[in-house]
Amino acid sequence: MKKDFMFISESVTPGHPDKLCDQISDAIVDRFLRQDPYSRVVTECAVATAIVFIAARFESDTVVDFPKIARQVIKQVGYEQPSFSAKTCSIVTSLQENSSTNHRHFDERQLSDEEIESIPVKNQATVFGFACQQTPVLMPLPIWLAHQLAKKLTQVREDQSLPYLTPDGKTQVGIEYQDRLPHRLQSITITASQHPSSVTDSPNFQQFQRDIREGVIEAVFADDSLPVKPDNHTQIFINPDGPLFIGGPAVHSGLTGRKNAIDTYGEYSRHSGAALSGKDPTRIDRIGAYAARYAAKNIVAAGLADECEVQLSYSIGIARPISIQVQTFGTGKISDASLTEILEKHFEFRLAGIIRQFNLRFLPDFIKGGFYKKLASYGHVGRTDLGLIPWEETDKIPLLQSFVAPK
Amino acid sequence: MKKIHPIDLNQPRELSFVQILHGTVKGRCRYKVQGLFHANKLKRYLEFHLSVHKDVNSVRANLVTSNILVHFHPSKQAIEIATLLNQLVRDYHQNPQSAIKQLPQRNGSSVASSGCWHLKEIETILSELNTSKETGLSNSAVQANLREYGINAIAETEPRSGLSIFIDYFKSVPVALLSGAALLSVLTGGIADAIVIMGVVGINAILGYATESHSERIINSLKNFVNPSAWVIRDGQLREIETKDLVLGDILLLQPGCYVPADARLIEAERLTLDESALTGESLPVSKQHITLEPNHNKGAVPLAERRNMVYRGTFATGGQGRGVVVATGNLTEMGQIQALVGETKNPSTPMERQLEQAGGQLVWISTAVCGLVFTLGLLRGYGLLEMVKTSISLAVAAVPEGLPTVATTTFALGILNMRRQKVLVRRLEAIEALGSVQVICLDKTGTLTSNRMSVLKLCWDGRDVDLTDGCFWSENHEINPYQCDELLKLIHISALCNDSQVNYHPNGTYVIDGSSTENALMEMAIAAGVDVKELNSKYPRLVTHHRSENHNLMATIHQIHESASLIAVKGNPSEVLDHCSTRMLKGQLVALSETDKQGIKEQNERMAGQALRVLGVAYGQGETSDVNSVTLSHLIWVGLVAMADPIRPGVKQTIRNFHQAGINTMMITGDQSPTAYAIAKSLNLSQEEPLKILDSTELTDLSPEVLSGLCERVHVFSRISPAHKLQIVQALQQRGFVVAMTGDGINDTPALKAAEVGIAMGHTGTDVAREVADVVLQDDNLETMIIAVSQGRTIYNNIRKSVHFLLSTNLSEIMVMLLANTGGLGQPLNAMQLLWLNLVTDIFPGLALALEAPEPDVLRVPPRSPDEPIIKSSDFQRILLESTSLSASALTAYGYGIWRYGISPHASTIAFMSLVSGQLLHALSCRSSRPLRSHRLPSNPYLTTALGGSFALQWISLAVPGLRNLLHVTPINATDGLVIGSSAILPLLINEGTKP
Repeated sequence: MKKDFMFISESVTPGHPDKLCDQISDAIVDRFLRQDPYSRVVTECAVATAIVFIAARFESDTVVDFPKIARQVIKQVGYEQPSFSAKTCSIVTSLQENSSTNHRHFDERQLSDEEIESIPVKNQATVFGFACQQTPVLMPLPIWLAHQLAKKLTQVREDQSLPYLTPDGKTQVGIEYQDRLPHRLQSITITASQHPSSVTDSPNFQQFQRDIREGVIEAVFADDSLPVKPDNHTQIFINPDGPLFIGGPAVHSGLTGRKNAIDTYGEYSRHSGAALSGKDPTRIDRIGAYAARYAAKNIVAAGLADECEVQLSYSIGIARPISIQVQTFGTGKISDASLTEILEKHFEFRLAGIIRQFNLRFLPDFIKGGFYKKLASYGHVGRTDLGLIPWEETDKIPLLQSFVAPK
Repeated sequence: MKKIHPIDLNQPRELSFVQILHGTVKGRCRYKVQGLFHANKLKRYLEFHLSVHKDVNSVRANLVTSNILVHFHPSKQAIEIATLLNQLVRDYHQNPQSAIKQLPQRNGSSVASSGCWHLKEIETILSELNTSKETGLSNSAVQANLREYGINAIAETEPRSGLSIFIDYFKSVPVALLSGAALLSVLTGGIADAIVIMGVVGINAILGYATESHSERIINSLKNFVNPSAWVIRDGQLREIETKDLVLGDILLLQPGCYVPADARLIEAERLTLDESALTGESLPVSKQHITLEPNHNKGAVPLAERRNMVYRGTFATGGQGRGVVVATGNLTEMGQIQALVGETKNPSTPMERQLEQAGGQLVWISTAVCGLVFTLGLLRGYGLLEMVKTSISLAVAAVPEGLPTVATTTFALGILNMRRQKVLVRRLEAIEALGSVQVICLDKTGTLTSNRMSVLKLCWDGRDVDLTDGCFWSENHEINPYQCDELLKLIHISALCNDSQVNYHPNGTYVIDGSSTENALMEMAIAAGVDVKELNSKYPRLVTHHRSENHNLMATIHQIHESASLIAVKGNPSEVLDHCSTRMLKGQLVALSETDKQGIKEQNERMAGQALRVLGVAYGQGETSDVNSVTLSHLIWVGLVAMADPIRPGVKQTIRNFHQAGINTMMITGDQSPTAYAIAKSLNLSQEEPLKILDSTELTDLSPEVLSGLCERVHVFSRISPAHKLQIVQALQQRGFVVAMTGDGINDTPALKAAEVGIAMGHTGTDVAREVADVVLQDDNLETMIIAVSQGRTIYNNIRKSVHFLLSTNLSEIMVMLLANTGGLGQPLNAMQLLWLNLVTDIFPGLALALEAPEPDVLRVPPRSPDEPIIKSSDFQRILLESTSLSASALTAYGYGIWRYGISPHASTIAFMSLVSGQLLHALSCRSSRPLRSHRLPSNPYLTTALGGSFALQWISLAVPGLRNLLHVTPINATDGLVIGSSAILPLLINEGTKP
């Protein structure tokens, strides 16, 4: 296995059109679940110029105001420009309401083990979960840093310290690895969009680059606990293609589920091709990924491995995964096979079981401002900024450690 | 309708420059003045000198028509004024330069010719017209003015008179040919032939006259169907009168959506705006005021578009209100003058008529060529010259499909009548054609799909909800009395207080609520709860009202509780009302309104909105009476939600299904929010089982036209659309090549109604303007009748096709028979008389009867035809050729049998004649449908039965009555002949039916 390499991951701000679509999709899921926790819904969204297209299939006791939710998200994200704004954009919804079936009304919290076993998955899916020691949240360093930069980029716009920025932005971080460990910050790329110079007192390009460097990059790396920092040789690109005016849907279009790597591990580990956003919790391709992350994170957190990838494969009609694979890349304290065995025995990977364990139906109701929508920017995994995320809990450490302790 | 007849009143010779045009009305005459055309100086000279004359009341000269209209003292004769006028013109011509110098500089008071109303003070105008601002005209003054100026109607271009239709007929080429033939007959001694020929001409003329004048009458009546009314003050009372009864001096009231029925000078205007596009072409509304304008010395007359204190006939009010005094009616209005300028407008001809005319024209040339060929062939064969002349002329007459456009006109006219009976008023001829090919129909939600009558269904407060059904309040199957539930009563009271609807009680105990549908629903709820609205309002008198506005989606009223305390009643958009609230009532106690509470209320609101309910939030507050005008809406107490619904009209579901079955896509246009639109669209199944697509946009203008038209093709519902955007929707659909029908009733809808191929307005609801521009008016406001209209439109089109098909195939068969017989040297199977008989008996009646076919049973189950499809397709021509070949082949076979038995003789030609006539008559049956008759049952067509029966009877009479027999040169036939004729008539029918696709 290669030990010395370069790795680049990217993140985008919530104003990026693809992410905007993810957020609209998940805001709709949130709203459905809040009004009827047993709603089934799949929402996809596309945005181009001044048009937002929402396609939804749903089965619910209620109907939500799709355009209103979309406009709320667009407004929240900060699109107020005449070319694309929450108020004036046109929204096309294509709605397919499936006739309501009673069997969707099951409350996993009330079900017996047999009943949970009897609820099968409805898609074939392979999902992955990953964790590693590179950061305190057990995420790979490149994507984590990229998220920090993207968050900062949004923050300086929102707190008006760089008021000329518009919501669209992209960050990339390149890390040089030695012996599979982050060694050096190789490059940082930030593309931020701004109001056209005619609108506000947008600075010239040199000033803009200086502002970003000081306000975003230096602010993020001021944190001393970071394992790597920019050095003299670190390449820093700020809008390498020149200024980007306005940005957002007016310039490039967006689609739900096109930022899967950003949602997960920045391509550092494998990830499923299926989108995470816009799906209700009965979709195994979404919640399976959460369960896999939970398993991987607990293994790494318990010290059973430095790096761990969990792969779950589900087949239609069966509640549990038909295959569980654990890969520790040679860092495991015990063999991958034993880890697999532990997971099979002690971790919940059944569809209804995952819903119950993570309380996935009712979270949107507890958390103000929506639960799934918040996951839709800066990643579904490795989040510490949202309070309690069930699959980021490390409550299986004692259990897992019990398997190595006796030795 | 007034007609302008040129009347020659013993014109004295000395009137070399002036001619009296119209002088029947006392005190008013129109003259034609030589040299007035584009002679502005002469115009001013005449206007000045005439208007200062003591007997002349007003003068108006027109530079384009060279006409001058003079109103003068009724005691004077038109001729006296003419003399005066003549003298003036002569003086002018003698020395134009000095004549001009005599003209004073224009200034308002001295020479404002009567046309310059905008320069006069209101008081001057009122006294001049003997009217009053407050009381208007007296009844007797109205009568006097009506006598003096006539009714307020613009003289229509004179419809073709019956006589002219009759005479026109004789001017046509076939008739000229026939007359030539008759003349030839007379010269060669065939008096009887000449009489028959002229008889045919006469009968044709009478028939043509009868059908055409009938059709023209119907088509002309299209324009007059909408008869808008006007509000005027007369005898001190507000009255609604028909606009044609409007007279000079009437005080006219203007409000949004009403057409200005006559030219008027404003005496009051409150934010009045008018759409003057009809007159000036300016599409933006113009604002109007009542101030007197200053004459503009530099630029000459104030242009029409800048006369801001005048309103003109044909324009319409778009906003505000106003009052004006009528200063010109009928032809004297600016619109009337323009109409006079435009002069004769032709009857509109539709694309289909033009196509038919074109096809007919081509066929005339073809058949003329064939007739020439027959003539030449006949001569070469050595037949008599005279005989051949007569025969080929008759053939030309019989074969030329001169009646094609007439068939269309007649069918249209009958269709219009038919639809009128079904309460569909067609206003434009083209609309009938478009009706048959409508592919998309855009429907307004409110008023068209729903009944536009709100009623309260649900009330929610403090986690409880109550249903209101049949005037009773129900909570979990228990009826509750609002008077025993404080919160509910409070909710009801505030809804009734913060409400602009007026409740008018009648002495007999009933009441009428007058106001917006939402507020009416709240009032009805209050009355159902047993609240005495009148008493409530007098107990808490209203001090201030804050109305709902564009950015302020709530209404607040402030009421006096007692001397120092006031009550603020608020209702409106739940989220906005909620934003102003800080507390709520919980079991009679005031508690703070938490974020969770707000969230819960918002979600409840959303849930109800998802059930197509309109939801209002209700709150109240208390304040001091001292500062009612500066009261801020904050820290209000939240009360609850009221949910209302506008039920779907009965029958609409089926109608939508019918549209879909007829292959017509339905689109709903609504200003409502998406969930409401979704709920309605779902229950109407607008998407036809596909995923329902909704375009939610307030700014359609932001979309590029290509994108919009791409979206329009797929979308089923437009939500949150303002009526102004309907035009874009129509245009976007049209860009995709769709034939679009659109309903509308407001002022803002008019551009879209105009643009749509079929603009549909409702007869009762809706504005005059909408009805005026619409192509189709549904008199009973019922969308179901639209289906009938579509079916009629399609049937009319189909029937014209059937009729044309029949006429062309039979005419062609006649040509073929003659051509082939002459080519083969078989003599003349049909002589001139027989050909004319064919033209008369077999062509006209069955052709007309086919145009009256009832709708085919599946007319509403097939998709609409493509708008690009020509009325006679090339495949039709092939069919026609095939059918006429079988007809003529069969007739020629019968003729061959005749020759074999009897030689080339009248007997043989009798057999050919009888065979062709019978074959053609039976062919009419085949033309009833483009599909084989055996494959489906057609509704019976009594007209066709009668036409065929009558034609057959006539045919047998011609054979049986000796006199006729001689005229037609037919001989008696025997049974075998009869059998041959019969089978040769039936055979083509069988062949043509068998070969139908």
